[in-house]
Amino acid sequence: LQQVCGRGALSIQGPWNLRQRVDIGVLYSRGGDYRLLSEASCAGAEAGIRAVNADPARRVTFAAHRREPGGRAEAYGTLCADLLRSGRIRHVLGCTTSSSRKEVIPVLERFDALLWYAAPYEGFEASERIVYAHACPNQHIVPLLNYVAPHWGADAFLLGSNYVWGWEVNRIARALVGDWNGRVLGERTLALGDTDVAHLIAEIRATRPSFVLNNLIGQSSYAFLKAFAELGREDAAFRPENCPVLSCDLMEPELAALEGSGEGHLVVGPYFADGSGAGKAASSMEAAAHACVLILADLIEAAGTDAPERVRALLPTRAFATPMGRLRIDGQTQHAHLPVRIGRIEGSGFREVWRSEGALAPDPYLSRHDPRGLSSVPAARPALRVVS
Amino acid sequence: MRAAGPAGAGIPHLGGLRALVLHRAHADTAALLRQLGAIGLAAEAAWPDLPADAVLADFLFFDADQGFDAQMPWMPGEAPMPLVALIGTEAPGRVEWAIRQRADAHLAKPIGNAGIYSALLIARQKFEERQALTREIAALRKQVAERRSVVQAVVRLTEAGLSEAEAFGRLRALAMNERITVEAAAVRFCAAAEGAGRGARRA
Repeated sequence: LQQVCGRGALSIQGPWNLRQRVDIGVLYSRGGDYRLLSEASCAGAEAGIRAVNADPARRVTFAAHRREPGGRAEAYGTLCADLLRSGRIRHVLGCTTSSSRKEVIPVLERFDALLWYAAPYEGFEASERIVYAHACPNQHIVPLLNYVAPHWGADAFLLGSNYVWGWEVNRIARALVGDWNGRVLGERTLALGDTDVAHLIAEIRATRPSFVLNNLIGQSSYAFLKAFAELGREDAAFRPENCPVLSCDLMEPELAALEGSGEGHLVVGPYFADGSGAGKAASSMEAAAHACVLILADLIEAAGTDAPERVRALLPTRAFATPMGRLRIDGQTQHAHLPVRIGRIEGSGFREVWRSEGALAPDPYLSRHDPRGLSSVPAARPALRVVS
Repeated sequence: MRAAGPAGAGIPHLGGLRALVLHRAHADTAALLRQLGAIGLAAEAAWPDLPADAVLADFLFFDADQGFDAQMPWMPGEAPMPLVALIGTEAPGRVEWAIRQRADAHLAKPIGNAGIYSALLIARQKFEERQALTREIAALRKQVAERRSVVQAVVRLTEAGLSEAEAFGRLRALAMNERITVEAAAVRFCAAAEGAGRGARRA
């Protein structure tokens, strides 16, 4: 027996169980250049929706409405408007790249909706229309660089895909490298999807940095890591133990595409898959998207409505049980407090080499940034422990 | 590729800075305070009077729609911090008033989450540029005024038998020895010559 009467309609499932049906949007690309990342988010969102709907203790069920932007940033705004126009949907899970997120913000404002964003990003944003569930710079690049500089040195070669993620993370890296008295020996960007990496390899070989920061995404990133592994076979100075490649957004599901060339390089994230499969999230992006759905369900149940302003008001009032552990959301910036893990790529997973003692409060504008990071130097801070 | 070299592009430090929002209680004020807080500033609203320690604030956002000169404890255009105008009414009189305050940046109402961070950075940059220009103009004015002393000193030295080139050389040497500008050396030389002259006349 199911009674549908528009937005926030009730479905009666069994004689005792009165559950509120909530329509939500799911806006992830299934194709396109960064498909492996968006598919990870999508898998997490779908798993979260299944978990909520299958949980008899829940008072909400989610009805997902999916749109497929095909990896084109400009399609996200249109498709998001398409989801929100009827007024039934007030929450959208979606977006991978920052370019797509920026396209969606004006649409969210127009229709008074909330985006649940579950990808690492470059920071310097705090929209009331977005809940940021994955890492911002003080939770990825800052601890990663502070881990690497004392061990390998601070002379950097910076790479990025040619859009705001690569530009801004590299810009932050420049500042951090300066704090460590290092030099930026080169900075190169590639268009999304560009796999012509020979000149990058030549420049890295010539400049001999202490490490390479890889903010390339998708195919460009895979092509680079393969070519860099080849360079390491020719010249031991470029093997991972001597010159690691650092990535802030590489996920476990991408390792197969690297065909072993990522081995030994370093990554950072709030969650690493344990490799067991067993229904657990296979990457931090999957875990974060899954977490978004659970948090949203908790908040709708607590608020008794899916009205974004009511849901938003409750964000900082509780901790949420998620696949990434118990998470809190900062009310002022709507970013998650997240643990930080640094890992070495080994086989099909990440082996943890360092982790933060607890969750790090988000600082999306790096307004509490402490140059040379006494508050975030992994090696120097007694409150933090090294996992070997 | 950008040139290799020292890094340090710099992360803008806004954390803990104090911003005042001179605007009546309103959704725009609330939105602005929220976003300034998210960026990491300590922000407070005031209307119609600024708090007594307003001159110590790091930023001032002011309402261009209903603001008036007497609200600011400084002469129009001489605010001691970066100003951001909040403009809703685009009537020429109101925009002119905002310009007269020398707003370093502006935000169009209604205020949302976007634009505030850039307004902070742009306003601070403009304000610092303006401060630097003001200091440079003052220094140049002083130099121009001191040029008269250079002419006087050269005239005195040439009267005493030096060529013009020798006279300038003497002043430059004095300036280098004393680590002062040529203009300051000339002022010092003229004063000394005047003193010596007076001494000679008295003798």
